[in-house]
Amino acid sequence: MSEQKGVLVIGGGMSGLTTAIEIAEAGYNAFIVERNPYLGGRVAQLNKYFWKLCPPTCGLEIQFKRIRNNDRIKLFTLAEVEDIKGEEGNFDVTIKVKPRYVNDKCVGCDACAQACPSYRDNEFNYGMNKTKAAYLPFDQAFPFQYVVDTQHCPEDCKKPCLDACKYDAIDFNMKTDALNLNVGAIVMATGWNLYDAKKIDNLSFGNIQNVITNMMMERISAPNGPTNGKIIRPSDGKEVKKIAFVQCAGSRDDNHLPYCSYICCLASLKQATYVREQYPESKVQIFYIDLRTPGLYENRFLSKIKADTNVTLTKGKVAKVSEDSETKDVIIEAEDVQGGRKIKERFDMVVLAAGMVPSTKDSKALKDVSYTPEGFVDTSTKKGVYAVGTLKSPVDVAMSVRDATGAALKGIQSLKR
Amino acid sequence: MSEQIITPDLGFVKDIIASGGDSVKKCYQCAACTVVCNVTPDSKPFPRKEMIYAQWGLKDKLINNPDIWLCHNCNDCTKYCPRGARPGDIFSAMRRKFIEDNSIPSLMGKVVTQTKMTLLALAIPFILFLAVLGITSHLRIPEGDIVYSKFFPILYIEIIFISAVSLAGIVYLASLVRFWNNMRKSNSQSFSKGFIPALIETLAEFLKHSRFGKCGPNADRRIPHLLVFFAFIGLAITTIWVTYYYYVPKVNTPIPLTDPMKWLANISASALLIGGALLMINRTKNKGFISKSSSFDWTFAIIIMLLCITGILTELIRLAGISTLAYPIYFIHLIFVFYTIVFFPYSKLAHMGYRSLAITYSKMTDRDISA
Amino acid sequence: MEKKFGVYLCKGCGIEEAIDIERLSTIATKDMKMSLCRIHSALCAPEGIQLIKDDIKEGVNTIVIGACSPRVKFEEFDFPGTITERVNIREFVAWSQHPKTDDTQSLASDYLIMGIVRVQKGEPPEPNILEDLSNTLLVVGGGITGMTSALEAANAGYKIVLVEKEPQLGGFVNKLYKKIPTGEFKEPLIVDTDIDKMIKEVEIHPNIQVYKSAKVSKTDGQPGLYDVTISSNGNSETIKIGAIVLATGWKPYDANKLDHLGYGRFKNVVTNIEFEEIARKNNGKILRPTDRKEAKKVAFILCAGQRDPNHLPYCSAMCCTNSLKQAKYVRQNPDSVAMILYKDIRTPGRLEYYYSEAQNDPGVMLTKAEVTGVTNAGNGNLYVEMENSFFGEKVKVEADLVVLAIGMVPSTREPQEYLDGLTAASAKGDEAKKAYLDSTPAPEFILNLSYRQGPEIPSLEGAYGFADSNFICFQYETRRTGIYSAGAVKQPMNIAESQEDAAGAAFKAIQCIDHISKGIAMHPRAWDTTFPDVYLLRCTACKRCTEECPFGAIDEDEKGIPYYKINRCRRCGTCMGSCPERIVSFKDYSVDIIGSMIKSIDVPEEEFRIVSFVCENDAYPALDTAGINRKTIDSSVRFISLRCLGGMNLVWVADALSKGIDGVLLIGCKFGENYQCHFVKGSELADYRFGKVGETLDRLRLEAERVKMLQVSINEYDKLPEMINEFVEKVKEIGHNPFKGL
Repeated sequence: MSEQKGVLVIGGGMSGLTTAIEIAEAGYNAFIVERNPYLGGRVAQLNKYFWKLCPPTCGLEIQFKRIRNNDRIKLFTLAEVEDIKGEEGNFDVTIKVKPRYVNDKCVGCDACAQACPSYRDNEFNYGMNKTKAAYLPFDQAFPFQYVVDTQHCPEDCKKPCLDACKYDAIDFNMKTDALNLNVGAIVMATGWNLYDAKKIDNLSFGNIQNVITNMMMERISAPNGPTNGKIIRPSDGKEVKKIAFVQCAGSRDDNHLPYCSYICCLASLKQATYVREQYPESKVQIFYIDLRTPGLYENRFLSKIKADTNVTLTKGKVAKVSEDSETKDVIIEAEDVQGGRKIKERFDMVVLAAGMVPSTKDSKALKDVSYTPEGFVDTSTKKGVYAVGTLKSPVDVAMSVRDATGAALKGIQSLKR
Repeated sequence: MSEQIITPDLGFVKDIIASGGDSVKKCYQCAACTVVCNVTPDSKPFPRKEMIYAQWGLKDKLINNPDIWLCHNCNDCTKYCPRGARPGDIFSAMRRKFIEDNSIPSLMGKVVTQTKMTLLALAIPFILFLAVLGITSHLRIPEGDIVYSKFFPILYIEIIFISAVSLAGIVYLASLVRFWNNMRKSNSQSFSKGFIPALIETLAEFLKHSRFGKCGPNADRRIPHLLVFFAFIGLAITTIWVTYYYYVPKVNTPIPLTDPMKWLANISASALLIGGALLMINRTKNKGFISKSSSFDWTFAIIIMLLCITGILTELIRLAGISTLAYPIYFIHLIFVFYTIVFFPYSKLAHMGYRSLAITYSKMTDRDISA
Repeated sequence: MEKKFGVYLCKGCGIEEAIDIERLSTIATKDMKMSLCRIHSALCAPEGIQLIKDDIKEGVNTIVIGACSPRVKFEEFDFPGTITERVNIREFVAWSQHPKTDDTQSLASDYLIMGIVRVQKGEPPEPNILEDLSNTLLVVGGGITGMTSALEAANAGYKIVLVEKEPQLGGFVNKLYKKIPTGEFKEPLIVDTDIDKMIKEVEIHPNIQVYKSAKVSKTDGQPGLYDVTISSNGNSETIKIGAIVLATGWKPYDANKLDHLGYGRFKNVVTNIEFEEIARKNNGKILRPTDRKEAKKVAFILCAGQRDPNHLPYCSAMCCTNSLKQAKYVRQNPDSVAMILYKDIRTPGRLEYYYSEAQNDPGVMLTKAEVTGVTNAGNGNLYVEMENSFFGEKVKVEADLVVLAIGMVPSTREPQEYLDGLTAASAKGDEAKKAYLDSTPAPEFILNLSYRQGPEIPSLEGAYGFADSNFICFQYETRRTGIYSAGAVKQPMNIAESQEDAAGAAFKAIQCIDHISKGIAMHPRAWDTTFPDVYLLRCTACKRCTEECPFGAIDEDEKGIPYYKINRCRRCGTCMGSCPERIVSFKDYSVDIIGSMIKSIDVPEEEFRIVSFVCENDAYPALDTAGINRKTIDSSVRFISLRCLGGMNLVWVADALSKGIDGVLLIGCKFGENYQCHFVKGSELADYRFGKVGETLDRLRLEAERVKMLQVSINEYDKLPEMINEFVEKVKEIGHNPFKGL
């Protein structure tokens, strides 16, 4: 890496990766600071992208290949920005890097995980299964390097892990590290979190086992998910042959998220294909307010799903969800607006199309920029700082990528000013 | 042409907004309201469809719509409305608007339903009483024991009130008949049940107030409303009873406290006070939504409370023997009594008849809910 | 470079437990005559790396590492200035085979030999940097997108040539009366466009040269070396250009086709574009066309000719918000009413606030509806008839003006349709082609590329002329390297989205200029300095390469001899795969290298052997992941990774089969409408080519089932081993290849 100042990219999801890699491929330095032990962010958790139904890991693989082949990118995982001082062209950034307890000598052989006696909730799978305390976040993780969760690895767990590693890769003496960077521009790309569906009391998430969120559905459908891609319901592992999708679970709702989360309609249509593909006789019902599939491919996708007679699209917001305590089936109530009737339907499982909350709702690490009450960022008040993707408004991956590429140019403008 | 023409009426939309329905335009027809509503029928449920009618100002689809009256203002809809469109408020506003428009004479409807005219409404009995007492030289504090009939002879009261209430009753009946006929005309549905059995069912239901119990966040309202409901029945009985005492056994007022009639009167007054107070407190509580009562609601609530308080004071001050205070309070009390029982076709109390008919109609057309 | 070889074998990660490393080392030193072969217990550990580095100091420059997959430990095994080949004996052997069997051993040994052959045959790349490169960007289209691209790039210090066909800049925004606010969506909901300020900023910018009333009459050459001819007012000028942003926007759909909605039949039915003009001309007052009376009941029919298979089957993404905005125009008169009839209101993201604010107006009435027709209501008024509205089955509203929210047609659609027609006619023969040319008026082309594959950016099938490549992760992927589309010519977009896209496209153009100045490829091989080298003496002018190149990188001379425009090339190797004469080679990737690797596979008479060509981008990582999950794959299969399956040359199949190899399996990306190939057409072309393999098989008198192509996604690693094993079983059923041992 040359001495020239670079651009700090906060967040290593699809937006952050795009900005950083594009900048590096244009011949400038880029620093990625990622909170998780792996790159890829939210898209790494997706089974497939909507409308194209291709796996996000396909694009991530190319991104990682670009990183492997470009020495202008410096990557920090398990890292967070602690402080930023200075102005455009000259920002002093303090980064806190949490210990991974596994060093670069890790070869990814899995011996530590096999030997490790303790378990932890797997947050990558939204807690639907457990991993060992020494674990690989997922099987196509980048960097391909294990992590030890010491909070779930007490003293008697450490030794077996340590002993199992033949490569001296585990190091429990690692400490939180602070390091400083001087950069010319900053791109915020910390993405979004899923709205806490428990807050929507009438939809009973958290009280009824077979009511899950859309992101949980992604994990259930993914080959590397908690069920190895088999779509079964949480209560009893029964195959899901009749499923409902509840749109706007929190979104477009003044009591929760007043904005539209953009991706949920397409995501549910996509998830409908997961079920339809796995169980040819299955029935899917999607309850919506408006079907939002704006654009060229998006609307084509909607038409394709509409043509499937086993998929029913019902205009009417679901406002009541209950459980049959014996069968654990989920009963949904809605008004079929076009039919002019209140309906009560029973399903094996119900997916809530929960919305997007900008990560900056809770963590406002950057001062000097302004935030809306919902947590969206406006960086126009601070020169040299740019926000991309879902930090400004809910968008899909394609739009995030376009925005992130544009941000690469803005970053370079800052370097050149 | 067979299709119906939909004609938006901006004026009516503005009327609804002015009547306390200022959130009407926020609705985006998601239908969460109809789902959370426990008192709406499954077929053609409210309030979603009425919200779109209101947004377009489709007065015809609203004024003769029984569903406006099936609503018990639980406000589950308001609590769960994602847009803050507050269907509960819109329905209240439309009911007020309906009472106003369906009034005979319509001028009285305006005077009573529009808050800014309240003083005018109160001025009617005030001037009337003043005139009667003035002409008959009763406009003074009588000497001796406090006996209200010395101040306002019972005969005068009987004449004024019986004639006024009869008149009001007749116009109210006329309004109800008009409502019924319009409702039948614009909702051409076949009946599965006769009027009388349906009405009896309805009235039986009222005694239990079971529909109020179905309200979600607002189910607490059942008991206060029940108290107020029975208080009014009790006070109505009392009024008849006292008239009976006066003319048949010729018992003069004041009736002793030991008399069962007095018990009923005092229990009813207390029930009204407690019920009314609880209802007012309920409106200010956060139940997942804050009730936004219109000034129409508040005016009526305040008048009822004043009616009750002045009534109780009338009795207490009489017992305390402060005649300089007793007679003016009694005078004021009579004004509120007049307002309450003579203006009832135009006030919030008018809902009793409309709601009874609407529920009866819903029972006759198989749109009843299992109460 | 004189090669000095070093082979390094790792024993770690279970390799030692699965493979006899000493025997493998013997293969290297004895059979392959490598002078140096070292074994280490953990080659990626600092001591292992030091071992290699010490040898490099001693002159080793050609390194074969038998260890883990090249997808890991890339920082450790990065030795600049050397040829380094990673032989994957961990994921492909130790982790996916039964340990210590003869089959496993011979698999490892074949991989090692193939790796050695590859570096023996390969050469270090040297970049091919062309001279006199231009750093100037051409932006075609001076609307909001083009102007944004120009300003963003100019502000990064680049010179811009901006070409606009109209006499003034501003494009579509010029036609607007007002726009929606950019910050918070609160009253006032309609604000001035301020386009004049932006136009001025562009026109006075020292880095931007503006050509108005101008068009691109010819684009010749390649990135860095485009000769762009701009014609304007009868004059033309040729300018050297480095890269291009295509921002020519959209045209409204032809409303004359919407007579069922009254357009053309009633003057008071206007389009959303005409409505802007009505509002603009009268300063906000809505005077209707027939009698210039103020329209007070305006009906907006959304999705007019959109989401409609007979017209535009897609959604233009901007009309819902735009119609809400136009409703606010109507509502500038407090007595007027705007009725919006929609299929779905689509105001995604924070635009929901705009919907909510605009709707919260007594005179803005909305209903979902399927509009079935527009009829006369007398006095110039109209009935809009609809079904499935919130008011019941069939209703109608009366309006004194009807506005059709018509959709976006990309400016590239007309040329594309003409060219598609031409291709179809040409396929029927010269006569049909001539008839087509005579009968069909040629549209105005936009870029006028002098490319063998046609004058415009090709649109994908089913993309209705939009200049997009249908990638999700890589929005600026283009089939014409150096030319990046932005805004509504690419996909339906609103103003804000177009402006974001404009910055992205400008960036990619800048990045392209940077890459060609260094002689490296553009995405997705943005490090690759190799390039196709062609031995033209043996060329038979079959034109397969010029036809198949997904990026139109190869032109032809009059004799049909290919002429590479190297800066357009993306190094996928499709031309190499297409060439029957085997004359296209890269320094480290050629028909000969792969062929030699195949020939180096040991084929014992009693064993089955399968060669599998896999795409390195998706199939290879999927195989790796299968190994990580310890899935067993039949030990008879040897995987050979290709840059893209498009590089698969049929001669390798013949090589393999005539050598006695029992089967050939191709594993590539999914193709079709939702293709996943990073080079757009690679796997599809491989499949097409593979379709012709019958000839080879017939000649060799072999069964057709011995060859197969699989389409897989990177995440199908759970199914892939099974799919491969199934194929192997099938081949085993057929029996041994009779050529074995001959």
